[in-house]
Amino acid sequence: MKKNELLLSRKPLHVLEKIKENLERLNEKMEIMIEIQRHGKKELEAFPDASLDVMTLLSMPDHLRKTAMTICRCGRATAQEIASQTKRARAVESAYLNQLVLMGYLKKERKGRKAYFYADRENQEHI
Amino acid sequence: MKKIIAVHSYKGGTGKTSLSVNLAASLAKRGNKVAILDLDFRAPSLFSILKMENSTVWLNDYLNGASNINKILKDTNGKIPSSGKLFAGLANPSTEAIRDMSAKDRKWEMRALGRLLSLRNSLLKEEDFDYIIFDTSPGLQYSSINAIVAADLVVVATTGDRSDVNGTSRMLRELYNLFEKKTGVVINKVLDADLDSKKEELNKRAKDVYQVPLLGLVPCFCEVLRAQGNLIFVQDRPDHPFTKILDEIATRIEKNEI
Repeated sequence: MKKNELLLSRKPLHVLEKIKENLERLNEKMEIMIEIQRHGKKELEAFPDASLDVMTLLSMPDHLRKTAMTICRCGRATAQEIASQTKRARAVESAYLNQLVLMGYLKKERKGRKAYFYADRENQEHI
Repeated sequence: MKKIIAVHSYKGGTGKTSLSVNLAASLAKRGNKVAILDLDFRAPSLFSILKMENSTVWLNDYLNGASNINKILKDTNGKIPSSGKLFAGLANPSTEAIRDMSAKDRKWEMRALGRLLSLRNSLLKEEDFDYIIFDTSPGLQYSSINAIVAADLVVVATTGDRSDVNGTSRMLRELYNLFEKKTGVVINKVLDADLDSKKEELNKRAKDVYQVPLLGLVPCFCEVLRAQGNLIFVQDRPDHPFTKILDEIATRIEKNEI
């Protein structure tokens, strides 16, 4: 009986978490669509698997360079972790990170509710 | 405060390696644990200045992902007596290694940057080093820009040479500013350094042309030239004015006065 009660009390929380997770994914997709609309898909597309080396960093616009340099320092990070270092809003960093993914400089990996970004396969979690 | 310091210049022959080694020795002699890394893979020289020609492990191996940094760093073993510790990571001087390092692609350079950035964790945090000093190659090359990006402070060595002044000011404006690096300039090999008018002129140059703090003015000492790289002044000539100036620069860095 107690077990059933516990399950029932957990269920609404679980549903809310699912809704939050879906909203976050939706938000990310919207951010990508906004970026594509703002810049045009062609402009954002770079080489697949492009490398984020210092010469590339130098050629980037200032706002993206800051995000890209922070991810280089962290290795692998979420938008929230990047935002805490750059002191910019999480949503802003999320947009920039997704833009860098579209340009081919970063990879994105989902783990549960969190999205992790990294520049190099060496920073993939399973390696 | 723990720090990674890159010593860089626009042109070669500005005295980068001499400044790097003496700065490292000065920081070590006052009790710090210091690592000096030779990132000038095109013209390695630290092995020669530290008289460690018999080394068999190289920084090249660390950047190639073939070795751990702890296996690369070698204690200078009393070559520089101090109350602290001075370790060196040497660049491989063989022609084959220089050729190999010159032919690296962008992907490799990206990984090399990652490995330099990870020294903050492996050396400053885990091994409790106080300072890491990168002796870089001159100009705008991958290895030197990687070092600049990975550093907390960049010390730019420059001389009075006209092309050096122009190049250095452009490099500060177009490279360092983009990476938002804390930077200080050391004007080296200054002639007539004891003249007040000269000091005034160089202070003005640092302020107006370079637009970064002046870390030190190092006169052109005949004794330094005569030593031909055989002496580490901070160690071998503790009372020489060159040593005193380098100690002052080290104090400013230690006290975070930049």
